Amino acid sequence: MTAVENPPKKYKYVGTRPVRHDGLEKVTGKARFAADLSLTGQLRGVMVRSPHAHARIKSIDTSAAEAMPGVKSVTTGADFPDIDPAAPIYDESINVIARDEVLYHGHVVAAVAATTLSEARAAAAAVKVEYDVLEPILTIEGALADGATISNKSTRTLFLGQDDETNLASVAPFGRGDVEAGFADADVIVERFFTTKAVHQGYIEPHACVVDVGQDGKASIWASSQGHFAVRSKTADILGWGTDKIKVTPAEIGGGFGGKTTIYLEPIAVKLSQKASRPVKMVMTREEVLRATGPAPAAEIAIKVGAKNDGELTTIQSTMKYSNGSAKGYAAMLGAMSTASYRFPNLDINTMGTVDNTSKSAAYRAPSAPQAAFAVESCIDEIAKTLGMDPIEIRLQNAVVEGDITAMGAPHPKIGFIETMQAIKDSEHYNSPVPEGAGRGFGTGFWFNIGEQSSATVNLNEDGTATVITGSPDIGGSRASMALMAAETLGLDPMRITPIIADTESVGFTDITEGSRATFATGMAVTNACLELIDQMKQRAAMMRGVEADQVEWVDGAAIVDGQDPLTIAEITGQAKQTGGPLTSTASLNAAGAGPSFAAHLADVAVDEETGVVTILRYTAAQDAGTAIHPSYVEGQMQGGSAQGIGWALNEEYIYSDDGVMENASFLDYRMPVASDLPMLETIIVEVPNPSHPYGVRGVGETGIVPPINTLANAIHSATGVRMTDLPMSPPNILKAITLQKASNEQK
Amino acid sequence: MATVHLQADHARHTNGERELEVGGATVGAVIDELDARFPGLGVFLSDGASVAIDGELQPRGTTYAPVGPEAVLHFLIPITGG
Repeated sequence: MTAVENPPKKYKYVGTRPVRHDGLEKVTGKARFAADLSLTGQLRGVMVRSPHAHARIKSIDTSAAEAMPGVKSVTTGADFPDIDPAAPIYDESINVIARDEVLYHGHVVAAVAATTLSEARAAAAAVKVEYDVLEPILTIEGALADGATISNKSTRTLFLGQDDETNLASVAPFGRGDVEAGFADADVIVERFFTTKAVHQGYIEPHACVVDVGQDGKASIWASSQGHFAVRSKTADILGWGTDKIKVTPAEIGGGFGGKTTIYLEPIAVKLSQKASRPVKMVMTREEVLRATGPAPAAEIAIKVGAKNDGELTTIQSTMKYSNGSAKGYAAMLGAMSTASYRFPNLDINTMGTVDNTSKSAAYRAPSAPQAAFAVESCIDEIAKTLGMDPIEIRLQNAVVEGDITAMGAPHPKIGFIETMQAIKDSEHYNSPVPEGAGRGFGTGFWFNIGEQSSATVNLNEDGTATVITGSPDIGGSRASMALMAAETLGLDPMRITPIIADTESVGFTDITEGSRATFATGMAVTNACLELIDQMKQRAAMMRGVEADQVEWVDGAAIVDGQDPLTIAEITGQAKQTGGPLTSTASLNAAGAGPSFAAHLADVAVDEETGVVTILRYTAAQDAGTAIHPSYVEGQMQGGSAQGIGWALNEEYIYSDDGVMENASFLDYRMPVASDLPMLETIIVEVPNPSHPYGVRGVGETGIVPPINTLANAIHSATGVRMTDLPMSPPNILKAITLQKASNEQK
Repeated sequence: MATVHLQADHARHTNGERELEVGGATVGAVIDELDARFPGLGVFLSDGASVAIDGELQPRGTTYAPVGPEAVLHFLIPITGG
């Protein structure tokens, strides 16, 4: 793996690769995930799920289940408060447990807690539910059809300033310039229609929690999530409780990728525990995860792009339709807004989000951007090939830089798109010949990244070691990143720092780990807390040296007073009792200035034209990290995003029966890539520091999933001459496209 | 007066106007003035939008963020992530 570091290295610890603090526990299997936890007297909770994709609940009879051996509690939607459909928590509340209508196959209608898992399963099967089965809406086209059945009657046209039932979640246009004039001025116009299927985040760890409601009525929750403060607030809102009645302790998380920014189990486990006065553990099966937790949305994108003969991109016009699944969302608008990489002077993008009777969609790394980039980058590739231009050159010619306007209208801050593409252009991969019989594809991706609220407390211990306490679950190595930023700021060896993720009562409020925000925003909080600690240590050192604090400098982890030996952190903390007590500092913030991240990918593929199998021969990903705090985990994010994007591109799809039942709800039939499917994913870290972060961090968790689909589509086109416009680009679909192409060529 | 740019989605409430001069020392004050001029718009900006001030994306909900007299504001749909 290569690391291109544009600015000269100026840090002692930031940018190094220490072993992660939680690494040994994880590789030896000792780390505690939610399903590993057990409490004395614990019950097992099991859901009762709808066998229909759309139905009215006529009645639920739990009496037989309640009488079964080992059963201690049963709950239904009737135990949960009614929530105003306009309230932000409404959709999640209904998704956790249906009230009067089930909105997708696998929607929870009741739950049972029993002494053993087998007893709970038997009792769940004995819950009798009567339904009036309704027509399910399963596709974007079906949702938008004239006279279509309303898939979720709580969806209203409020976004249009009206209040009618609808299958539309949102409609929003984005635009600038004069599109008609732009196309009239274009020398080359490419017009295509792209479709993508719903795909799952595919985290290895199924959703799980353990809940114990005490005699005082307070719920203690141990859960795997991307944000335990959000688990607390969402659970409280769904139950109608105060947050003071709920404590959430974060378990280790076995992957989230956006899919664990929402909750599914916790409010139900609270109810079951409360009713039984016993702790309750709930662990989803893989089948439940696939059927009833949020996939990324399916999309249909009509697009038309115009360019001049010299490669100048003049115009883009598109209609982007995304399915939100069973509830409202902004998926389509996010897709349009992520069209932010090129200076199209004329832009007209209309977006539609639909609501149907598939499971409620959830975020997935750079949500909605991969689908939109599939369309945009495929068209640019086609224009480049039509004009005989290098695929990187045409993009460099049109790439946005600081101050250029995004599709949503706001200007880009300092960004590194050109540097990222240049890194691929300069790479050994790009400058080596394409293997015989193979095709090479290039593509790019963008994601905004966000800031939001974070808190950190840093305690200096009496021996000069430190504890860094945050509220950001460690999804991709953030413990190590927090320790490195604290180490750099304090001048303390990172292995003398213990990074901790504290429960909701032991650290300040912290937003969900999403939007590639943890290293950026929580890292800023950690840095600020450390800067405050340095001020404290300078004051203590001044006392110890008998000088004023402003005569003390902090250099490389020690207090310096002219003409005297440095005072180390350990020497200062060793005298803490004598100089005023323990040294501790807390910082909280709502971080502005998140730096957008760009990625550029290059792939060589071979396509077996008899079977349609695509083999990736070589794959390189470059991405602007701003500053790579821990390069190994930046590379890990880039590789993880690439692998997931490759799966999305080549194999993954939700397959539904006509009555809305997912037919491939197992990892046997839902084909994610495994190690043997992939070559070594090469990485190039580009560093164009974000000026709004003390160490230049941009956040790297999401952008890497955006380019693989378009990069592979472009590579497949280079290899076969076939422009793939429908996902997945699986063997049968490739074979079909090749056959159609051959037939078309023969007709000509 | 700050220059405010709205999404086309918001412009349904402004008779199509997407660039406006608006007074107000904070984001909240700008939203209040916009709501006074275009009743009903405020809720879409305060509850359902992100805002960039002079190109820097602000955290959601920062209605107290200061707005300078020459500031340029872009109201966007909520940006989250995965």
